[in-house]
Amino acid sequence: MTVTRDLVVEMSGLNKWYGEHHALRDVSLGLAAGEKIVLCGPSGSGKSTLIRCINGLEAFHEGDLIVCGTRLDGTQDSLTAVRRKAGMVFQNFNLFPHLTVLENLTLGAVYARGEPQDRAIERAHGLLARVQLTSQTLKFPGQLSGGQRQRVAIARALMLEPEVMLFDEPTSALDPEMVHEVLDVMEELAVSGQAMIVVTHEMGFARSVADLVVFMDQGEIVEAARPEIFFDAPATARAKAFVGQISHAT
Amino acid sequence: MNTAPRSFALPASSPPRLPPADARGLRAFLRTHLFQSPLAGVFTFLLGALLIIALWHVVRWSVIDAVWYAPDNGAACRTALGACWAVIAEKYRVIFFGAYPYDEQWRGGLIIALWVAWGAISATRLLSVGTRLAGWALVFVVTILLLKGGLFGLAPVGTDLWGGLPLTFLIFGGTIAGGLPLAILLAIGRRSELPVVRLLCVATIEGVRGIPLLALLFFAALILPLFLPPQLTVDKLIRAEIGMIIFFAAYAAEVVRGGLQAVPEGQDEAAKALGLGYWLRMRKIILPQALAIVVPALFNDIIRAFKNTTFFSILGLFDVLGATKAALQDPNWVRYGTEGYLFVFLLYFIICSAMSLYGSSIERDNKRRVRRAT
Repeated sequence: MTVTRDLVVEMSGLNKWYGEHHALRDVSLGLAAGEKIVLCGPSGSGKSTLIRCINGLEAFHEGDLIVCGTRLDGTQDSLTAVRRKAGMVFQNFNLFPHLTVLENLTLGAVYARGEPQDRAIERAHGLLARVQLTSQTLKFPGQLSGGQRQRVAIARALMLEPEVMLFDEPTSALDPEMVHEVLDVMEELAVSGQAMIVVTHEMGFARSVADLVVFMDQGEIVEAARPEIFFDAPATARAKAFVGQISHAT
Repeated sequence: MNTAPRSFALPASSPPRLPPADARGLRAFLRTHLFQSPLAGVFTFLLGALLIIALWHVVRWSVIDAVWYAPDNGAACRTALGACWAVIAEKYRVIFFGAYPYDEQWRGGLIIALWVAWGAISATRLLSVGTRLAGWALVFVVTILLLKGGLFGLAPVGTDLWGGLPLTFLIFGGTIAGGLPLAILLAIGRRSELPVVRLLCVATIEGVRGIPLLALLFFAALILPLFLPPQLTVDKLIRAEIGMIIFFAAYAAEVVRGGLQAVPEGQDEAAKALGLGYWLRMRKIILPQALAIVVPALFNDIIRAFKNTTFFSILGLFDVLGATKAALQDPNWVRYGTEGYLFVFLLYFIICSAMSLYGSSIERDNKRRVRRAT
C-alpha cells in the first residue's frame, strides 16, 4: 500500500525480541526526505538491529514500519519493494569477492531491476567517478584497501538510486587513516540531499551532517535532538554519560 | 626523574640488496632440504640408494628384459626374464572395447578420441564455461548415438555388448552430469527452512551414505526389476547409472554443503539488500563462491566416481577393468595378468592424474582471482 507523506522512513511502536531478550522497545521514528539521522549509543543498544529492520534484514514482532511508501508486512513483495529503494552499506563491506568492482555494481541493476547491461555499466562508471575510484573498475575487491572497498560498497548501494541510504557502522572496520576518505564520500552524499540513516561513532561527522541525532540505549530511544544541542547539552543522564565518554576518547 | 632510557634504536638507511650467496640457490636448497643435520644426511643417502636400486629393477624388468613382440601365442614370452608387453599388443582391442562387435570397434575408437580431444581443449580454458559445457553435452550425446547405432546406416548394438573405455567414459560422464546438479539441489535443500524439503534431503543423503555402492548397484540392476510392473522395462545400464548418480550426489552434497556454510552470512545479506531473489542470490553470489571453496574436495569425489565405474563389471557390463579381466582368461596369455593389469593401472593413473591436475589448476586460478575480502 502507498502512503503519501513526506517521510521516507516512518516507524511507530516497533518491538523486537531475541528469544526473551527485548531488543527493540517501542521505537518510533521518522525520517523526512532529504534529511539525515545519526543513530548512536553504546554497543548492544539496538541501533544496528533497528537499521537492519528498515530494509527487512531483521524481522520485528510488533509495530508499524513504512519505508519509501511500502509497509513492511513480512511478505516477500514488500521486502523486495523496500530493498529496491533503500541502499544499505555494511560494516564489513560485504562486497562480492568473486566479481570485479564493476560487476559488483551492475549485478543488482541487471538482475534485480532488469536494466540493460550497457546502461548499468554507464551508470556504474558515473558512480565510481563520484566515489573517486575510476581506475579500479576491473579489480577484484581483494585487491583494494579497506577504504576503497567501502567506497565501492557505497557506490553499489547508490546503483539502486535509493530514496534512503542506510549505513551500519561504515567506518568501524577501517584502519584510522582510511576513515576520512569514506566520511568524505558520505558528506558529499549528504550535501547532495540524499536522505540517510547512519549508525556511527564518528561524532565529528554527526555534528556536521546530522539533522537529528538519536541516542539509543538498551533497545529504546532515550533522546533525540539537533546535534549541537545533543553534544553540548544532553538532557538525560545516560546521554550525558555517553557524550562524556566519546568526547573523552576523541 | 629525567634520566635517558637505556634502550636504544639507531636510524640507518641502506639500499635493498640480495641475501648472502649461501642463502640462495642450490647450496641453500641442499643444506636446508637434504643435509640439514648428520642424521638427515644419512637418511638422504640411504633413501636415495634404495630409490636408485628400485628404479634399476623396474627399468630392467619393464624395458631392458621385456618382450614387446611375440607371435605364435606368445612363444617368445615364455623364456623372457622381463615383462611380456606383447600381451597388450595381442589383447588391446578387447581391453579398449570389451565385447563390442569387432568390425564396429572404430566407433569406440572415435569416442575415445572425442573425449580425449575435448578434455584437452577444455583444460586450456580458452573457451568460455558455457561453450565447454555445451561441447561436453554434445560429446555425451554423440557417444550414446555411436555406441547404440541404428542411425545413418550404423548397425544397432545392444547395451549388453557395450564395453571398454567408451563405456567407462559414458558411465563417468553420466554420473557427473546427473550427480553434480543433484548434489547441489540436495545441499541447498538440506539448508532449507521448509521442514519437509529438509527432511527429504537429509533422508536421501544419510540413507544413501549408509549403504555400500555395490549393494546399491545390485539393487538397481537386479532387484528393482522384480518390483516394477513387467511392461515398465528400463535398461539395466540406465538403472545402474541412476544408482551411480544418486551415490555420487549423496557424497558430493555434503561437500557442497560445507562450501555453502563457508560463505559468510554477509554475502547473502548484501545480495538481499540489492533486492535479489533467492535463486538469483544462490546462482550469482552463494554457489560460485561455495563451489570455488570446495574444488579440492569435489575433485576428490569426481576422481572417485571415475574409479567407481569398475563396479559395473559385477553386473556383467564390461568397463575397462572388466574387459581386461575377460581378455586375460585366454589360456595362452593368462600368465601375463601382471602386465595386463599394469597397463590398465597406467591408463587409470593417467586419466585420474589429468583430472587431479585440472582440479589444482582451477584452484590456483580461484586463488589468484579471489583474495578474500572479509
